Amino acid sequence: MSFRFIHASDLHIGRKFANIPQPPDGNIRGRLMEARHAVIGKLGQAAVDAGAAHVLLAGDTFDTATPSPSVLRQALMAMGETPLVTWWILPGNHDNLRDAEPLWETIRQDAPDNVRALTEAAPVELAPGATLLPCPVAFRAGASDPSEPLDRMESPEGSLRIGLAHGGVTDFTESGDAIAPDRDRSARLDYLALGDWHGRMAVSERVHYCGTPEQDRFKHGRRGVCLLVSLDSPGAPPHVEEIEIGSFLWSETELTLHPRQDAAAALAAILPEQGRRDHLLRVTVGGWASLPDRADLTRATEACSPDFAHFALVTDALGTQYDSADLDEIDRGGALRLAAETLVEEAESETLSQSERDVSADALARLHAYVREAEA
Amino acid sequence: MKIRAITLNNVRRFTDPAQLTDIGDGINVLCEPNEHGKSTLFDAIQALFFKPYGSRDKDVSALRPHAGGAPEVTVEVETDDGRFTLFKRWFQKPLATVHRGGTLVAQADEAEAWIAQLLGGDAGGPSGLIWVRQGMTSLAGGSSKEEKQALEARRDLMTSVGAEVEAMTGGRRMDKALARCREELGQYATSTKRPRTGGPWKDAQEQVASLAERRDTLTATVQELQEALAERARSRRALRELEAPDAAEERRTKLETARAAHAAALRHAEEVETLARAAELARLNADSAAAQLESLRTTLAEIATAQREVRQAEATAETATKTLAEQRAAVEEAEAALKKAEANLEAAQATQRLAQRARAARDGAERRTALEARIAQAEATRAQMESAEAAAKHGPDAAALQRIETLAAELSATRAARDATATQVVARYTPGGAAILGPDGPLPDGQALPLRHATELKIEGLGTLEVRPGAGGQDDHALETATEKLRTALAQVGADDLDAARTAAATRADAQRRFGEAKAVLASLAPEGIAPLRAALAEIPDMDAEEDAPDLEEAEKALLAAQTAYSERRSAREAAAEQLAEARTEAARADALLTSLRDRLRRAEAQQAKLGDLSEDALTAQVTQTAAAFAQARAAHAEKAEGAPDLASLKAALDRATSVETQAQDEIARLRPLLARLNERISRASGDAVEERLAETTQELQAAEATLARIDHEVAVLTRLEDALQTARNEARDRYFAPIVAELKPLLQLLWPDAELTWGEESLLPHALIRNGREEPIDILSGGTQEQVALMVRLAFAKMLARAGRIAPVILDDALVFTDDDRIERMFDALHRQASDMQIIVLTCRQRAFRALGGKALCLETSAPTS
Repeated sequence: MSFRFIHASDLHIGRKFANIPQPPDGNIRGRLMEARHAVIGKLGQAAVDAGAAHVLLAGDTFDTATPSPSVLRQALMAMGETPLVTWWILPGNHDNLRDAEPLWETIRQDAPDNVRALTEAAPVELAPGATLLPCPVAFRAGASDPSEPLDRMESPEGSLRIGLAHGGVTDFTESGDAIAPDRDRSARLDYLALGDWHGRMAVSERVHYCGTPEQDRFKHGRRGVCLLVSLDSPGAPPHVEEIEIGSFLWSETELTLHPRQDAAAALAAILPEQGRRDHLLRVTVGGWASLPDRADLTRATEACSPDFAHFALVTDALGTQYDSADLDEIDRGGALRLAAETLVEEAESETLSQSERDVSADALARLHAYVREAEA
Repeated sequence: MKIRAITLNNVRRFTDPAQLTDIGDGINVLCEPNEHGKSTLFDAIQALFFKPYGSRDKDVSALRPHAGGAPEVTVEVETDDGRFTLFKRWFQKPLATVHRGGTLVAQADEAEAWIAQLLGGDAGGPSGLIWVRQGMTSLAGGSSKEEKQALEARRDLMTSVGAEVEAMTGGRRMDKALARCREELGQYATSTKRPRTGGPWKDAQEQVASLAERRDTLTATVQELQEALAERARSRRALRELEAPDAAEERRTKLETARAAHAAALRHAEEVETLARAAELARLNADSAAAQLESLRTTLAEIATAQREVRQAEATAETATKTLAEQRAAVEEAEAALKKAEANLEAAQATQRLAQRARAARDGAERRTALEARIAQAEATRAQMESAEAAAKHGPDAAALQRIETLAAELSATRAARDATATQVVARYTPGGAAILGPDGPLPDGQALPLRHATELKIEGLGTLEVRPGAGGQDDHALETATEKLRTALAQVGADDLDAARTAAATRADAQRRFGEAKAVLASLAPEGIAPLRAALAEIPDMDAEEDAPDLEEAEKALLAAQTAYSERRSAREAAAEQLAEARTEAARADALLTSLRDRLRRAEAQQAKLGDLSEDALTAQVTQTAAAFAQARAAHAEKAEGAPDLASLKAALDRATSVETQAQDEIARLRPLLARLNERISRASGDAVEERLAETTQELQAAEATLARIDHEVAVLTRLEDALQTARNEARDRYFAPIVAELKPLLQLLWPDAELTWGEESLLPHALIRNGREEPIDILSGGTQEQVALMVRLAFAKMLARAGRIAPVILDDALVFTDDDRIERMFDALHRQASDMQIIVLTCRQRAFRALGGKALCLETSAPTS
């Protein structure tokens, strides 16, 4: 019988999503927040379903060092409601040991029996024959490889060595705090469960990022997962299975337009038919569009965006092509035409700054819209 | 169209037909005083062209005469198609007809349509555009309907020469776009492009500011929380270390050890101190014994010395006493001898004096006699001298006499001078004749007698002869003065006349001589006066009766011997006295020495007595013993001191151990409440979920900043659009007005070089005059300037009409009211310039001023009604 456990990380419980625009009568922020709390139940259920007795949370369980009491206590209670599963919580950089000291004290004192805070870098026996080697994060920004203690951690002979750490494997900031990608070998690990990266990534056979179970950015393009890990015996390769548990889909789609293309139709073509309510979508539009196309695109966006949990149209990369026909639509001559031509000239000028060109381009689009609006 | 003739009938004052004929091309001037019907003429033309024949409105009513009736107006016009006669009658049998050469072309409504066609088919036609009613000196004005018509006319005209204003300026579409733009912009910004209070722009800015502030506050709180956490960790660690049993035990052991070591050292130090005191005592004993021995030895030696010296001194004193007694006796002896010698000397002296006196008496007898004689002679001489001196004081001296002599001479000269000029009589007596008596007696013969005043000369026997000298010429006054002077001088010397004075002077000189002689004699006899002589006489001793006076030589020899003896005796006594004094001094010195030595001896003996009856041997033994004791004590002290622990170091060690313990206790006492406080602070801050709120605020701030950036962009877009539209419209307007500006330019330059007009887009009228770069709204210009501008604009419009092939006559009814003579000339130039290819009809009452206009003069002819 192999040893099985659930590997998850970066729950970021308590995250507010105040940067997601919310209509006056909307509730998207609340829903996103609630979904993160709901992950606890889903993880517990996944463990039970898979016959795993342990859930390893590889850091950043809480979004901040001082979550509000209701956030914290409700999370702990939710974990307590899955008595068959033991929760092993590792401090990450968001809920690091130093800044979140009260948090960890509270967990140690008040958490249900099946919730264990891993605040010491010392081996813990998960079960006979399986030793957990945790590397809690002491500071928000460290200067050394947080998984380094793993090399020195002892475990009973013949026991599975399961590392649990939080941090990046790529040193983006050159601060020296990246986790060595071959740590599994240097520390003789059977599996290294990592947290910090929000996307799912298998670094190597034994080293995995599970990603956040409830996504919070557009780049990964899929719902969050947790990992069901099965270890047969020391030294044997782990069996890793992804279980999709995220409620919300965050995705980003690129749309390239061509002049005289029906922009609204092009947009409609890339939009999903279903699941829009739980979908946060960002459409980045590139290419070229005429003035009426732009207006059509804007109208189409306004029409479809209420379908989605969140919809953003990014047109920074969309160039505007000014046909004489479009300008004729404004006016064939006279002062309006004169103004329009001035704006076109400015929008296409090579001496003006980008922001000045943008201002002129948008001013022209606005003029076009006014004229069409007046004639509608 | 050009007007050739006008006929009015039953129009206001023209109840009889009035006619204006032969109206030519170019300028036509009807110059009439006021109240001669010019305005009536204008109104009639206006009515003909614009009032339907069926109209009964007030304008038409105003044309009726007082007496009532149907106003009739006939105008002959010439068009490209030929010459037509237009006729209208209102009210009774209203009618409109158009004839061509007597042929009816149109009538009634058809005629109206024909006229409208003639005018160009427009609502306003040329009336408001180029016809100027009296008093309408500005461009705008008139009824609202007229204004509207005029505006339409202008618009038509402008459109006909250029594009439509709408096409040019964008018209209503432009207005709408601008309005929309401004409306949207207005939500964000004020007219000065500042964020509008309550608007989304301002809100976004405030939102960003308030969120940034909240974020900063929360950041600070988080910072505080983290600091508190760090401090708590430090404090806990410190407390744990302090309170660890091992550490506490170690501190306590160290303290105890230090304390014990310190106490031992203290005890040791006390023992050393005791030994030091014992050694000191031994040293004192040894010193004391040695001193005692030394003292005894010194005392014994002193006694021996003193005794010896006393003995010597006693011997010396005895010798001195003896010597003193001997010397006293010697002195007494010398004294006696001296007294004897003194007595001898005195006797010798007496004898010698006696002998001397006797000798002196003998020597003085002859000298006395001589001296007495000399004194007597001197006294006689002195008496002589005194009498001569007294005599010499009387009579004039030489100087006084000399003065008197001079005065006498002057008197004689004066008198001679007077007599020389006076009347003189000279008597020459016949011999034996009677004498002639003058005042001073008979006149001398042959001698001239001067007569100074009337003088009676008595001639004996004959009577008297009175001679009267002439008045004047004689100076009696000088004579009197001279006489008086002489008399005064004489009186001063006490002489009666000149001779007496001379005698007295001689006497005085004699006495003086005698005085001098006596004085010289006296000086030889007694050069120092008589008194010394008498004193010398008194000194000469009288001869007395001591006949037996000793011989002087012998007496002197005896005296010399006595004197020598006396001197010897006195020297002897002096020597003896000196020796006595020496002996006395010696005796005193010996006594003093003896006394001192005895004293010394006594002191030494007293010292010995004080030392008691200790023997020198006993003392010597004691000295040896005490010295040994001292050496022993000192060795003991040195030995003890050698092994003494360092008390200062041990004290320092104890202090340190104590302070470590105290510090530990203090630190514990400080840390416990500090921890409590930190716990409280941390639990409060973490309970407030500050980091959660900070994360939320940071996100909100990012969103707000994005919103603000979007709005900033939006405002920039709208501002840019508004500006682009406004600029384009201004440019278009300028282009639109270009034709009229071109027409106006040469006209304006007649009055104001480089002047320009700006145009109102709505009114299609100039709204400002730019002169010398300064823009002046039309309505603040002077009346003269306003009417000049108005007239020029109309002329320009007329020119444009003409260019458009729609020539219309310009009718000006007293259009230049306010213009002065200088300007009016230039306005006439303008008129002539424009008139070359059009018709201008000028109605004016300013006959004199308009004489200079030139042009064709018109005359309103009233004649009998024609059929």
